[in-house]
Amino acid sequence: MGIRQTLDNLEPHFHKGGKYEKYYPLFEAVDTIFYSPPSVAKTTAHVRDGIDLKRIMITVWLCTFPAMFFGMWSAGWQANLAIADGYASMGGWREAILMTLAGGHDASSWWSNLVLGATYFLPIYLVNFAVGGFWEVLFAIKRGHEVNEGFFVTSVLFALILPATIPLWQVALGITFGVVIGKEIFGGTGKNFLNPALTGRAFLYFAYPAQISGDAVWVAADGFTGATALSIAFQDGMAALSSQYSWWDAFIGFIPGSVGEVSTLAILIGAAVLLWTKIASWRIMLGVFLGMVATSALFNLIGSDTNPMFAMPWYWHLVVGGFAFGMVFMATDPVSASMTNQGRLLFGALIGVMTVLIRVVNPAFPEGIMLAILFANLFAPLIDHFFVQANIKRRLKRTGATAEETA
Amino acid sequence: MSRRFDFPGGIHPPTRKARSTREPLREAPLPRRVVLPLTQHRGQPAEPCVAVGERVRTGQVIARPQGRVSAALHASISGIVSAIEPRPVPHPGGLSAPCLVIEGDGSDEWAPMAALAWRTTDTETLHRRLADSGLVGLGGAGFPSQLKARLGEHHAIDTLVINAAECEPYISADDMTLRRHAAEVLEGARLLAHLLGAERILVGIEDDKPEALAALNTAITAAQSPPTIELQVIETRYPSGGENQLIRRLLGRQVPSGGLPADVGVVCHNPGTLWAALAAVRDGRPQVSRVVTLTGEALARPGNVIARLGTPLAELLEDAGLDHERLARLVMGGPMMGQPLARLDLPLIKTANCLIAASAEELPPPPPPRPCIRCGDCETACPVALAPQRLLAFAQAEADDKARELALFDCIECGACDYVCPSHLPLVAQFRAAKDRLRHKDAEAKRAERARHRYECRQARLEREAAEKEARRQARRQAASRPAAQATPRGGAGGQEAVKSLRIAQAAAKAALRKAERALARASDADAATLADLETQRATAEEHLRAAEARLTAAQGDPQNSAEETP
Repeated sequence: MGIRQTLDNLEPHFHKGGKYEKYYPLFEAVDTIFYSPPSVAKTTAHVRDGIDLKRIMITVWLCTFPAMFFGMWSAGWQANLAIADGYASMGGWREAILMTLAGGHDASSWWSNLVLGATYFLPIYLVNFAVGGFWEVLFAIKRGHEVNEGFFVTSVLFALILPATIPLWQVALGITFGVVIGKEIFGGTGKNFLNPALTGRAFLYFAYPAQISGDAVWVAADGFTGATALSIAFQDGMAALSSQYSWWDAFIGFIPGSVGEVSTLAILIGAAVLLWTKIASWRIMLGVFLGMVATSALFNLIGSDTNPMFAMPWYWHLVVGGFAFGMVFMATDPVSASMTNQGRLLFGALIGVMTVLIRVVNPAFPEGIMLAILFANLFAPLIDHFFVQANIKRRLKRTGATAEETA
Repeated sequence: MSRRFDFPGGIHPPTRKARSTREPLREAPLPRRVVLPLTQHRGQPAEPCVAVGERVRTGQVIARPQGRVSAALHASISGIVSAIEPRPVPHPGGLSAPCLVIEGDGSDEWAPMAALAWRTTDTETLHRRLADSGLVGLGGAGFPSQLKARLGEHHAIDTLVINAAECEPYISADDMTLRRHAAEVLEGARLLAHLLGAERILVGIEDDKPEALAALNTAITAAQSPPTIELQVIETRYPSGGENQLIRRLLGRQVPSGGLPADVGVVCHNPGTLWAALAAVRDGRPQVSRVVTLTGEALARPGNVIARLGTPLAELLEDAGLDHERLARLVMGGPMMGQPLARLDLPLIKTANCLIAASAEELPPPPPPRPCIRCGDCETACPVALAPQRLLAFAQAEADDKARELALFDCIECGACDYVCPSHLPLVAQFRAAKDRLRHKDAEAKRAERARHRYECRQARLEREAAEKEARRQARRQAASRPAAQATPRGGAGGQEAVKSLRIAQAAAKAALRKAERALARASDADAATLADLETQRATAEEHLRAAEARLTAAQGDPQNSAEETP
């Protein structure tokens, strides 16, 4: 009741003519976080389904938690293993926090691993949240609309697809690009045609490739190079990959990689919730999966003596790189995906096909799904257009026009 | 049930019908004063046929239908007509409309019509009786029933569907009517099937009404008289009670876009309407009352009552134990499509099937709209397979023609999209606005078209007069110079050509006139403005024909062509 009263007392200042009139969206944002706002819109139905945008966003956010926590543990574990092998730790304030909370580097202690991982991931996430939130609020104030919960999701997704060692200023730059160029300049939530988190990552990927790709960035130990499963397969072939990691390692997430992307298992737990609550479209996920399976099977059949990636079977494609994360959390972003049901299958399939295509036959980019999704985002309106036209034609055929008299 | 026999989408809102079905159907107390709006139906308002100060008895006609689509109005209590004036009525815009006010004398003295045995009465009498009793569809649309009963004259109707789906939450008026009066409803259905020439009667009912279902089953087995009645139970899903949706679900027939159920050989009636139709014929009781559901958490004694039309809503609600403190919102109709009422001093009208006196927790005010995230839930829920999110974008941008292309007018405004939308967007409200804009635009275009037709008619008349004048002049000149002309036959292909093309013009004008006459005959039951417009077009065609004939006569009379005329 206390908060409600405080908010009610403050509210007049934010209305037209009040001293903080310009900051109404900020007030509104705080208010909606605690309470459902009181203003009335004229929807015709007097009853409504329980689900609303806020709940959708919060559910997606919660669905990333398995991947997030496993990712933190895994990042810490990878670093602790390297440090146990004699590499130096990165040092600095992270080391101090680790020493205070966990007492030292110990790859066999899950707590030590988790704390070490958290000292890398949480700053990334906080920077994301603060910088992303700043832009969101700025645009909301400028445009006079309310702050949207969408950036909760964007910021966490963006944080999860970055390597643990990325400099924080790059994080700030990336989320800025993602939110401003990927979303706000097109009119904000609901009007963007690209996935903002992936737009930000693509920006970093091309602007600062040294900190986001290659073999040195994945494990937080000084001088350690640990190639991702994808680049092992690309450079040394499937045999080298399976001798180093078993499929189960890759599935559960005992491999180096971006924080949120390493554990296919944890991602699939999130996917189960998203599908069960019907928040994510099963059609898109199925489309991505089938597209990937079909294309990788095709490459397996063709075979190649020079390119070892041709031989990677679909079940390896599923567990390495960002495929699972992209399929579950990125491709299913409804705003930038197709919106017709048939279109969603096709949209997903396009992503699956493009992912494998980029991974296998494009030597410059070992990671394909980011570009594949952005590519499919561009095609989504076109896909929708065709299905909508087809629907109109089918509808005319089915229901017909009113029996027009023929003189 | 196969996919073909179903409509797409639909939703499962909580039904909340239990509160109003605990108590049996009861009579509401007789009101002391009634206010009867002259428009309680689709179409034109009725015209009062009693004077202020006149004494009327219950069931007496107080206003006659005006025009083709209209319905008569009857005194719902006996007493003195105290006023004929605009009063606030249940209207979405909160407007006032002409009403007839009767101060009751408390005696409820009836002036019934003669009772008829429908099986032995000729159909014309029955049709007239339905028209005289002011019957309208009681499901909510309020279409005059006598017009629906006459659909058999122009359409081949094979099936009468009793729409007992009652799919909207809260409403239980049909349910309670059927529990008590199933036999009368079925007899009413036989009466209307007889008038329509329908051989089959089909009851469609949702599976959440077991008592009504049992009552129907008993009534069907007890009945001996043909035709037999089929009962089809469907799974509860909103909006199964939409006419077109129910027909699709029961019969697998799809009503064409912009068409009527009659186009696929079906007529739908609500159980309450059928009961009222039977009462009008068998008992000579015109429509002076209806069953209305009184429900909502602000009522202590919710239930269904038979209430006289024109009863103030406040009286009905007070009788059901209204708690003014708890009343946050009053809705007439269901929670999906019903309209909110801003005040309590409104009269009960023929189309009011339900009154929800809701508390704030029960029907909370909608949260503010958020941006559309294109989740597609609305598309999944839409029972007519539209793409509401695209329609919304077009409607908001007022790109109405594009919305029309996406079949905006197929939208039945059921509110399923509003219900599921996670961003709480006012989809249906926008669609209604877009439809209104389009209708307005179409009406403007039509007006312009009619003005053009009138102008063309005048042009044609002037042309015809000029042609006739020319023909007369030609005839005079010929009469004067016949001998000379014979002496110098100019003859020539040019003249021949002229006659030929004039003949073609004459034939075309004849065809155009025939076409205009046919169009006029076909539209014999259209509204006055359309008829006048078609008449103008016909007159134009006639003027053209007469002008062509005059020119032809003149040309044939011309000596330079006459040689060709008589080979």
